[in-house]
Amino acid sequence: MDQLIQLAIELVKIVVIAVVVLVFMMVAVLYMVLKLRWVIARIQSRLGPNRTGPWGVLQTVADALKLLQKEDIIPCGADKWLFTIAPALVFIPAYLVYVVIPFGRGMAPSQLAMTHSLGEIGKLPGLSIGVMYLSAISSIGVIGIVVAGWASNNKWSLLGAFRGASQLIAYEVPIILAMVVPVLVSGSMDLSAIVDKQAGGFWHWNLFQLQAGPALPIAFLMLIIAGLAEINVTPFDIMEAESELVAGFNTEYSGMKFALFFLAEFAAAFTLAAIITTLFLGGYNPPLAFLGGQLSGLAFSAVSLFWFLAKCWVLVIFIMWVRSTLPRVRVDQLMNLAWKALIPVGLVNLLLAGAYVTFWMAK
Amino acid sequence: MKNKTVIIKDIINSFVSIPKGLWITLVNWSIARPCVTELYPEQKRQLPQNYRGIPVLPVDPKTGKSRCIACGACARMCPEHIITVEIDKSDPKDRKPSEFSIDISRCMWCGLCTEACPVNCLVMGKDFELATYTREGMIYNLEDLMRLGGEFPAEEVVEEIAEEKKEESES
Repeated sequence: MDQLIQLAIELVKIVVIAVVVLVFMMVAVLYMVLKLRWVIARIQSRLGPNRTGPWGVLQTVADALKLLQKEDIIPCGADKWLFTIAPALVFIPAYLVYVVIPFGRGMAPSQLAMTHSLGEIGKLPGLSIGVMYLSAISSIGVIGIVVAGWASNNKWSLLGAFRGASQLIAYEVPIILAMVVPVLVSGSMDLSAIVDKQAGGFWHWNLFQLQAGPALPIAFLMLIIAGLAEINVTPFDIMEAESELVAGFNTEYSGMKFALFFLAEFAAAFTLAAIITTLFLGGYNPPLAFLGGQLSGLAFSAVSLFWFLAKCWVLVIFIMWVRSTLPRVRVDQLMNLAWKALIPVGLVNLLLAGAYVTFWMAK
Repeated sequence: MKNKTVIIKDIINSFVSIPKGLWITLVNWSIARPCVTELYPEQKRQLPQNYRGIPVLPVDPKTGKSRCIACGACARMCPEHIITVEIDKSDPKDRKPSEFSIDISRCMWCGLCTEACPVNCLVMGKDFELATYTREGMIYNLEDLMRLGGEFPAEEVVEEIAEEKKEESES
């Protein structure tokens, strides 16, 4: 009987964590869409949304409500079943990635699910194959995109899906090559352990570390470039290029299903910011020790949550800045960049990092 | 196949040109470039003096009436035949319109009616927010046109406009 109650409590806890993460994701995406529109508007000397609610902050909420009310259209000739599950296939991996992201010390959802009391927060290790889990789950999303394009019975959708598949497969490789370098230097795949290795001031962050030669800064640049391609923002958004493919793989989607695609796309942008922060920018560590580094226990966990979100937000703004600056590359340029530039550089970089770690790094 | 030096140049160029582009957008993002958006219903644009809104009949401040002599030149000139003028025959010494209406739904703001007017009593007004819920609401009668027209401007302004017209017709 006691065991049953224990099990029930565990289950309730996991469901609560899942719901909290889902709500966080939705709120973050709603605000990111709004911020994106503000940033692009400001760069183009416009004002952006400013009508709905004070300063227009309710604009995306209104948009979401509109999408919920819209008729759910399935085009004739479409594969009904695949057409319906495709948004879920894209959304679920984007949601699952959040399991390992360390939002604060001991605050990755996977750690929280194992925690039994407040005192235990920050004392448990994270998922020991965190980086592998991250790269594995985030590459599942492409299946949903191909399914969506195939099931729509529309040539634009299918073309968009093909482009998406080739693009995501090509850019998965440089992303993994870049993510392996901090793993090599830290000697762990656990994201929390990688972050804890970067504790101290900002000069301890992996981005500024030269213990593996120039390997870490190069990996950082590669992760940003390939990551932008992975989340399909403008310099690399050939799979939904509006001027060429109407809207790419989601041309036929409307209403709630379209909203799920949209949600997954922006959630992926936040995930990219979180991955870069975790691996290269010190994760949840404050940039200078006196900004919260002297705290311990729960207080530090709270401060670390703030620093993690702040760093992610700066990166998200940077992604929006790049997005509103650079023009779209051609398909062949995109493929050339991946196969002829990023992957060879990544391989050499990995070799370099391995050599440094094996022969020169302090034992 | 591209020459090797060209490829190297391209690579170096990309490291220079991308930060350059980012810098340009950053400058636009900063306070250095203010927004050009006008918040329309709250902020209205300063209209130019010869702006063509709805044709209206201004009121003479001395008599409180329109100077219209019901000659019908505007109605004849109108390419769309949307102006209706009826003469009030009660007083043969004072020609004035008994009815004067413009169906603004078909007006194309050409201003030919104002140019045809021999007494300069029909002028293009400044009102452009003319949306209504009915088609009948688009027909403006004598009272509406006089209300929209307000009072005649000072004599000098009228002369100025007349001179402008003359110069236009000469050129």
